[in-house]
Amino acid sequence: MVKLRTKLAFFNLLSKLVFTALFIAILPFIVERINIIQTDNELVQKREEVIELISEVGIEPFITQNTGNSFGSYNILKEEFINLEKIQLKDDWNFIEVSKRLIEDETIDYRVLNYSFKIDDQTYLLEIGKSLESIHHTQNNIKKVILVFLFSIIMITLFADFYYTRMILSPLDAIIRKLKKSSTPSHFDKTPVITSTSEFRQLDQILRKSMDEIDNLFQKEKEITVNISHELMTPISILRSKLENLLLQQNIENDVAEKIEESLRTLHRLQTLVKSLLLIAGIESEQYLKEDSFSIKDLLKEISDEIEPVAADAGIRIINKYEEDMMVTNANRSLVFSMIYNVVNNSVKNTSSGGEIILRCGNYEGKFEITISDTGKGMTQDEIDVLFLRFKKKLDPQKESTGIGMAITKSIADFHKIDISVTSNPGKGTKISFFLPENS
Amino acid sequence: MNVLIVEDEKNLANEVAAYLKTEGYLCELAYTGKDASERIAVNAYDFVLLDIGLPDYNGLDLIVEARKNNNDVSFIIITARGTVDDKVRGLDLGADDYLAKPFALVELHSRLQAVARRKFQITNQIIALGEFVLDIQSRKVLFNGTEVDLTKKEHELLQYLVLNRNKVLTRQQLYEHIWGNILDDQYDSNFIDVHIKNIRKKMNVFAQVPWMETVRGIGYRVSLDN
Repeated sequence: MVKLRTKLAFFNLLSKLVFTALFIAILPFIVERINIIQTDNELVQKREEVIELISEVGIEPFITQNTGNSFGSYNILKEEFINLEKIQLKDDWNFIEVSKRLIEDETIDYRVLNYSFKIDDQTYLLEIGKSLESIHHTQNNIKKVILVFLFSIIMITLFADFYYTRMILSPLDAIIRKLKKSSTPSHFDKTPVITSTSEFRQLDQILRKSMDEIDNLFQKEKEITVNISHELMTPISILRSKLENLLLQQNIENDVAEKIEESLRTLHRLQTLVKSLLLIAGIESEQYLKEDSFSIKDLLKEISDEIEPVAADAGIRIINKYEEDMMVTNANRSLVFSMIYNVVNNSVKNTSSGGEIILRCGNYEGKFEITISDTGKGMTQDEIDVLFLRFKKKLDPQKESTGIGMAITKSIADFHKIDISVTSNPGKGTKISFFLPENS
Repeated sequence: MNVLIVEDEKNLANEVAAYLKTEGYLCELAYTGKDASERIAVNAYDFVLLDIGLPDYNGLDLIVEARKNNNDVSFIIITARGTVDDKVRGLDLGADDYLAKPFALVELHSRLQAVARRKFQITNQIIALGEFVLDIQSRKVLFNGTEVDLTKKEHELLQYLVLNRNKVLTRQQLYEHIWGNILDDQYDSNFIDVHIKNIRKKMNVFAQVPWMETVRGIGYRVSLDN
């Protein structure tokens, strides 16, 4: 993606280049036209001067017996010449043309004014010429000046444009930075962006307002969850105590006892659901402290030891490959324990006898990574998509799972700014990786 | 031992009292904070089970009052608001333990026993398990002086069954005791079965353990005469 500022600068540069190219392309014509008009005006003016002179002093001083039928004069560098001669003409001549003249063995292109006039029935032709070379010379000078001027203007305006757009767009950058920094609406920086551009001010205001509204809704949702959960705890408590007391009574029939145990199991599921919702709400509203420092290797070892008996019983091998350790600081150990444990436990449940679960940790590609991979039944993309969502999974009625474990894992990861990636092949296995942020 | 149950939910208070009576405790009930405050000031209790979410009183104030009057009764806080904050504040004020609703009655009993052991400094508690002995203090199971190599979890499980002997404990109750709170959502009855299986296997090397019973459809029980 290209930045707005870069786009604007690029357009600026491009439009200036096109403009300049056009200008440079037509510049010779313009300069030549101007120059020729200028030259022609000069020639006409000189003609007037010569005619005036002739009408004052007559033709005789120029054309005498000595000079023959013509008079010529040119300056040393042959830039200009004047020629006067007797001639026979049917029409009157008064035009300007380009023609070659041989002056002292040198052929030179001139812009020549031809003018015929009559004195005492004798027709004379006046030719006033200016060398094209001298005209071109002036032309080139003018061109150079124009080009240097043009180039300087373009460079100056280009830099000015670039800095101005950067300055004028800086509030937009500030707004984007604020958005990027806030992972949740409650983290959105509420200090207004300083700008005199009304659009940016509006954008900032609207964003702040929406964030506030979303944040409020989130808070309300959390409060409702927490309140409902707490309200549910007391009735669950009463039911549970009653059922437990019943079960503890001597001399009850075994089938009655079994029914009571079944009810307790159902109640336990309800209790677990409510507690899990409370746990997630607690994590999301940051009620948990992040004050522990611990070794990832030790934590993984503990999880592996914890789960090993159950895995062994199911015929699953747990392989530990701890390549490097990391001391995590400012974290909640029991939450992180739970986060990883849930994934490993899930792997055990979804891997059949003879399978393997590999726990790995180390620095890969600049980040510390914890990976749990299994040779279990794997997941389809659809299953991966809903893996971390609450209550979105199709649950196996035979299993006791509440289906909320991975949602807890996700909220703990978010709480610690840990990224999760999931790759899975149906029938082959699943790999879940946690990418830890650097210690703050 | 004398227990005062401070709980505004009469239904729950009565159930807890009914259970504790079967365990040999003497129970009194207080449904309001005011009533509880008066009773604590007048009577000598060993334990106060205190629900801190009382309608008329901040439950934690009862602890402050008691301590002010040099009353060293043991408080066990019970709350439906299982926040870390409540727990820390309660324990800071001098509560002896903390239980979140809903709790298992056997768990409550085992907490009371643990507090009593600390309070009365009962150190050498040794219980005979058939041909084995369980030393609660040193967390060891011995057969003719040879230690049975149980893991920490296996030991906790066995000890919990022994302390609640002659009662059937459900798998949930056992799971909650060992993996309680943070791993609640990972409950799997298989966990308990596997650990019981391993305990039996390790002990069977030395002798049979007929006292460790599986009660079909319900859970496990340690049956002892004493």
